[in-house]
This record gives sequence, structure tokens and C-alpha cells, in this order.
Amino acid sequence: MSLASLTKDWAATSYGFLDASAKRELRRKMLKAIAVPGCQMPYASREVPMARGWGTGGLQVTLTLVNSASVVKVIDQGADDGVNAASIRRFISRVSGAAETWDTLSATIVQSRHRIPEEIMREDQVLVLQVPNPEPLRGVEPNISIARQMHADADYGKLWLTLYEQIVRKGRIMQGASYPAMVNGRHVMTPSPIPRWDVPKLNMARHLTFLSAGREKRLHAVPPYTRVEPLVFSDRPYQVEDHADLTCRRSGVRGFFMNELPQDGGGSVFEVSDSNLGIKAIDKADGSAIEIGETWYRNGEYSA
Amino acid sequence: MLTVAPPDAVELRSNATFEALMWALSRPGDIRTLPDAGFDAIAETLVDLECSAYADTSEMRERIVASGAMLADRIGDADHVFITALEDAGQQLAEINCGTALYPDDGATLIVAAAHRGQRLRLSGPGIKDATEIALDLPSGFWAMRDLLCLYPEGFDIFCVDGDKVIGIPRSTKVEVL
Repeated sequence: MSLASLTKDWAATSYGFLDASAKRELRRKMLKAIAVPGCQMPYASREVPMARGWGTGGLQVTLTLVNSASVVKVIDQGADDGVNAASIRRFISRVSGAAETWDTLSATIVQSRHRIPEEIMREDQVLVLQVPNPEPLRGVEPNISIARQMHADADYGKLWLTLYEQIVRKGRIMQGASYPAMVNGRHVMTPSPIPRWDVPKLNMARHLTFLSAGREKRLHAVPPYTRVEPLVFSDRPYQVEDHADLTCRRSGVRGFFMNELPQDGGGSVFEVSDSNLGIKAIDKADGSAIEIGETWYRNGEYSA
Repeated sequence: MLTVAPPDAVELRSNATFEALMWALSRPGDIRTLPDAGFDAIAETLVDLECSAYADTSEMRERIVASGAMLADRIGDADHVFITALEDAGQQLAEINCGTALYPDDGATLIVAAAHRGQRLRLSGPGIKDATEIALDLPSGFWAMRDLLCLYPEGFDIFCVDGDKVIGIPRSTKVEVL
């Protein structure tokens, strides 16, 4: 062995931005995350040209997966054209040569902040969720060492207690986003701040999901066909947001997760949150040959 | 303007190898194709100076040293274990690192050469819709030992390599010997 065999020629940049050693570390952790679904795996979280908290965790996972044949879709709260989503997508494409898309059906990697697309994802697709806080126990146990011990003991009593207290105080569970969910019957994870509407999409899904928190330096995964059960009491069924009867004012689609736009003088109008689904619905109504994939929700009811 | 180097051969091979390993572990029992036959591409993809590794052949040991990883003398000290031949139904693996409930990620990755034929196995668990049946040429005693060692979430994860084909069996998978 010589020094020359341990180094390689100088290059200004690495393909896919991350250097080979960063990628190897992420690959090792991603495999362990798949092997223990829902369990948070620590990783180094390198610097990327973006501030921590803006999707660096998801970005590092995507940069590890991406190759020049990949087709990347990036969404922010359901929209492809938000400045954060557009910047991340353009960056990934520039450093890897991957194609960009807005269409869930043609993507191989979907990186997302706070939403899962409404169209059902396929076996060959990877969903990468950006996670601000990967620790479901943080609200009840701020000490991360004790929280780790609680995960090791499967001691989730305090989480159940917070849900119970919400029912006692407010008459219903008030947890909106980041609804804690039991994965593979063993580890409770936070599914990142996706709305309650999206949590059932992870249960026994066809696609592979990575959830990565760059600032907190942890990632976890939900492999395909893995049980993801929101924590609920047997006499209080899991409820998703009451959006089944809302209509999008621009595209006219009904029965999907909506953004509420409050109006002057009271009242609200609604726009579909998965913006590309709305765009496709408008194009289809205009007579274009657009394929809208099967959706997880049909007529406002979850039915996958 | 950002100019990006095109991927070199190592990057292309590592990316394709990882994709095969990732899907193999995500769907236990599925057969995936590696870009190159054998252990070399897997070691190149996963093992570097942050790892410790064990191997039962001198070529693989040289490969590990060249990667900068620490060469482990005992299987129990390694986080990546490359085995070409199981002895005594795999009893040499009895001391493999299974991590702890606190740190399940410390559990080792076992890369073992095993023909994808022979003993029928039924797999169930995460990644498998109901159950799937595969054939793997590993002694049934090995699976009994795995059952004893893999106290979920503790355990070790297996890649069974046959030429350029790989089957992944994570610790979360329940294996029944048929």
C-alpha cells in the first residue's frame, strides 16, 4: 500500500457534490435504516451549499442516490415551484445531470418537504422526506440520551399520555402534523411534519421512504410493505383532516388535501396542495392527453 | 458557473452497487444484479477508513487494508464481515456484532457467498407483501443461530452473493426453513 493508492487525482468538485467518503457513510447508514424500520440512525451530515434546516438532510440522501439516469421531483408543501423546491431541484440536476420533473409519475426520486404526493407511488420510486425534528419523544423528553433509552425499551407511555391529555382537554386529538406512528410494531417515528392526511400513505406502501434530518444528523426509513400505524386509542379512530368535501377553486378537483386561503371579510377559498395534480387536472380539462395516476384518496376516502 | 466533473468509474460502480443493495434489503428475497460479480464492488461501496472489517480470504483482507479500514482479527470486532465459506453451519459467526437496543446501527453487515438454490426458505416481514419463498444454499443450523442472535432490533443484516446476483435479508425479516 502506498499513499498514491489511498488518494486520487485532484478534482475541483465531486460528482453529485458529496465526496466519496460522505456517500459511503450515508450508504452504510441508509442500509441500517432500512434494516431497522423507523429507528433513527445517526450520521455525520456534511456541509452542503444550503443552510441547515432548509432540507439538507433530504438533499444528502438524494445526492447519494442520484445518477445521470435519475428523474428528480422536489416539492415544498406540495408545490414544485416554491423557491426552496425549485432551488434544490436545480442544484441536484446541475451536480448530477439528472432530469427534472414536476410529474410524480415520471420521477424516480421524489424529495419532499411536508407532503406526500396524492398519486400513488410505485415500487421503483424512492420518497425522500426532509425532517426538521426526527425525535417523536422530544416534546415529552428533551434529554436525547434518555429518549434513546426510551426507544431501546419501547417505552412510549409518555407519548400516549400527551394524546390522552389532548382528548381530555380539547375533546379530540389536536396533533396536526408530525403525527407519531408505530413502525413495524416496534419503533415510534415522527413521519416529518406531513399532515395526518398523508400518514396512511406510508402504511404498507409500495415505495421506499427515507426520512432525513440534516440539522439533527439522523435518518430513518420506511421500507415498502411495512406497517406504519398512527398511535390511536381503540375507541378514538384515527381522523384525517376534514378536506373530503372541499373543491379546489382553480382546478376544480375535489377530495384532496387543500391549502386554505382566508379571504378579506371572513370565509376561505381552497386550492389543492399537490399543485402538479391541480395543473394536470386543468390541462386535462383543456383537452391535453395528460395521464393522472391512481390516487391514494378517491372521492375523499382513503382507499389504497 | 458551476462545472461538475462527470462520474468516474468508481462512482458509477458504487452508485449501481448501492442501488442493488438498497433494493435487495428493502425487498428481502428479491434477486438484484450487481454491476460486478463478487465482493469487491460491495467493499468499494461500503467500506472505508471509518470501518472495521473481517474476511476469510487473503485477497479480501488485502482489499480491506487497501481501503484504509481496520482489519479485524475476530469476527466480533468487525462491522462488515465478508465470508466465502461457512464452517460448522456458521458457528464461526456466533460472536458477530449484533449491536444493542440503544444502538441497533452497530449491528454488523454480513456479506456471504451463497448459491441462490438449495434449501427452501419462507421470508416474511417488512418489505414483503405477504410472504415469499426463496432458495439459498446455507445450512439450516445457520438460520437457527440467526434466530438466537437477532433479538430485534438487535441483529445483523445479510447479503447473499451468488456471482453478480444478491439477495438481502435484514434483521427484521422472519426466516422459516421449509
